[in-house]
Amino acid sequence: MKTSKALYLEVGGIVAAVAAALVCGFIVILLTSSEPFAAIGSFLIDPLSNPFNIGTILNKAVPLILTGLSMSVVFQSGVFSMGAEGQLYVGAFVGSLAAVYLPGLNPWIHLPLVLVCAILGGALFAAIPGLMKAYLNANEIVTTLMLNFVAILTTSYLVNNPFKSPDGGGYARMELIGKDILLGKFIPGMPVHAGFLIALAAVAAVFVLMYKTPLGYELRLVGKNGQFARYGGIATRKIVVLTIMISGALAGLAGIVEILGIHQTYKDNFSAGLGFDGIIIALLARNHPIGVLISALLYAYIQVGAQTMQAGSDMPREVAVIIQVMLVLLVTAQAIFAYIRQRYAHSGTKAVK
Amino acid sequence: MVWQTVWNQIADLSLIAVLLRLMTPILLSALGGLISDIGGVINIGLEGLMLLSAFTSIAVGAGTGSWVLGVLAGVGVSVLVSYGMGFFSLKLKVDIIIAGFAVNIFGSGFTIFLMSKLYGLTGNYTPIGAPKIPVIDIPVLEGVPVLGPLLSGHSLMVWIALLSVVFCVILIYRTPYGVHLRSVGEAPYAAQSLGIPVKRVQYSALAWSGAFAGLAGAFLSNGLTNMFVKDMTAGTGFLALAVVLLGNRNPVGILIGSLIFGLASALSTIVQTVPDSPVPSQFIQMIPYVVTIAALVFFAWRNKRKFAATV
Repeated sequence: MKTSKALYLEVGGIVAAVAAALVCGFIVILLTSSEPFAAIGSFLIDPLSNPFNIGTILNKAVPLILTGLSMSVVFQSGVFSMGAEGQLYVGAFVGSLAAVYLPGLNPWIHLPLVLVCAILGGALFAAIPGLMKAYLNANEIVTTLMLNFVAILTTSYLVNNPFKSPDGGGYARMELIGKDILLGKFIPGMPVHAGFLIALAAVAAVFVLMYKTPLGYELRLVGKNGQFARYGGIATRKIVVLTIMISGALAGLAGIVEILGIHQTYKDNFSAGLGFDGIIIALLARNHPIGVLISALLYAYIQVGAQTMQAGSDMPREVAVIIQVMLVLLVTAQAIFAYIRQRYAHSGTKAVK
Repeated sequence: MVWQTVWNQIADLSLIAVLLRLMTPILLSALGGLISDIGGVINIGLEGLMLLSAFTSIAVGAGTGSWVLGVLAGVGVSVLVSYGMGFFSLKLKVDIIIAGFAVNIFGSGFTIFLMSKLYGLTGNYTPIGAPKIPVIDIPVLEGVPVLGPLLSGHSLMVWIALLSVVFCVILIYRTPYGVHLRSVGEAPYAAQSLGIPVKRVQYSALAWSGAFAGLAGAFLSNGLTNMFVKDMTAGTGFLALAVVLLGNRNPVGILIGSLIFGLASALSTIVQTVPDSPVPSQFIQMIPYVVTIAALVFFAWRNKRKFAATV
């Protein structure tokens, strides 16, 4: 059981790691920019300077929250799936098919149906590596990485050939999705779309699933100690398959929400790594749903900051990559966190003795 | 039409040349992946290392006018980053998969950053007169009908890649270092109790993987194309990981796996260039991944049966 002190130390360590990663980025800016302070200024301040940019941050956070949740669920059960990217494409594609080719439905029925199709698409595609992991012990890192390519290439073929819209103007995309089921803006003056509400609901749902249901308990137990869980009578194989499917469902939802909120139809290669960003988010969040929400917002802020910096100074936005990489490495460095615990938790244990 | 083209290329042996050329980066990076895998520090950052090396190699090559310096610089950077990966994973205890993942993001983003900062370019960098890794024409054989096109006219790096297979067989199975490497990967605690410096061996395994990924990357920019395009590896590093498993973690198996993958990518190039192809190129591009999944399932199934038989 984590005491509140251990929790504070953990959170403090993560905040320090985030600060250190930002400092690394700033050092690179100082070394390479001719106007470093303008660059750092537009990186830090411009994203929050007007409602439009704040809305952009929220919009960017939406798929990150969902893929982050997707990864946090599998990581909690000790499965190292890297398949969110592929599951996201499959989910988005299946959902888009339902959105484009089932016209004339009442939007109150149509929209949930589209979301359910995307969720099922992602979950069923994720079941493939899940079954291979559970029953053949095939390394899930490799199978999911390979299946990502299978998913991306298959959907790319389909959207380039049978489902290609003739008026795409050179772009491979489907027919436009009807306006009545697109996720519209819900705050006047801000571009944030209703997918943000879906993402918040997903955070709550995953929180309840992980910490308030028997399934969540079994799932976390399998992650903490698979053998113990099996001796305790938990059907670990079933849990592994279910976990990957839940993760796939969330990734599929991320895909369709991005389509309905931003792109307005299925486009070839629309994701550009959202699934992999989810891995970073889950790591930053220590796999906790609330943490996922916070770190997705932070990550989106860094991305928008990089864009405003590119617009407002001589720095290309790829500087953000340095910050991202340092974030990942510092937050997951167990040696650093073990040191923090040892160094600062010491006084507490003495008092107990 | 497509089959006609494929057949013609098989008949005049140009398919072999294309195959060898496309196989080389896969083979080299897979050998790198193999050494790290055997040492128990699986390096999934090959993709990022290749990109870093590809960029450095062509930038230094164009700057100095020497392909040797370019390749050496590329390999050097790749080895250096691998050591960095070792520092984070072995010293600071970052999971090796996460460290590799970070290297991939870094390689992709940092090369774009450098391209924009150094040359003000965004998509690709095509220096004029950048030296290429030379092509080896074998004097007498060149004119011989079948052997000529089969053996002559390949890039030097193709030969380096093939020799690397032999080198890896010797390194892994015929040297004391190889024994250490295998024991560290198999049972690190047992190795440690025998006085084998586990961490040093793992650092060196990562360095080897960096060196091979570096050669592969340098060949992409300085041999195969003569330019740097952002994210030009396009999944080669992941293919390499697949080849390691497909080849059953054995250098010769990896050579065969690389040939299969090279063939798939040669065929998909042909299909893409021929109009009105009956087979969509996406499905040919998919072959390596599907073959790998099938092989993985097969190995897993066989292991399970073997395990069941011994228990």
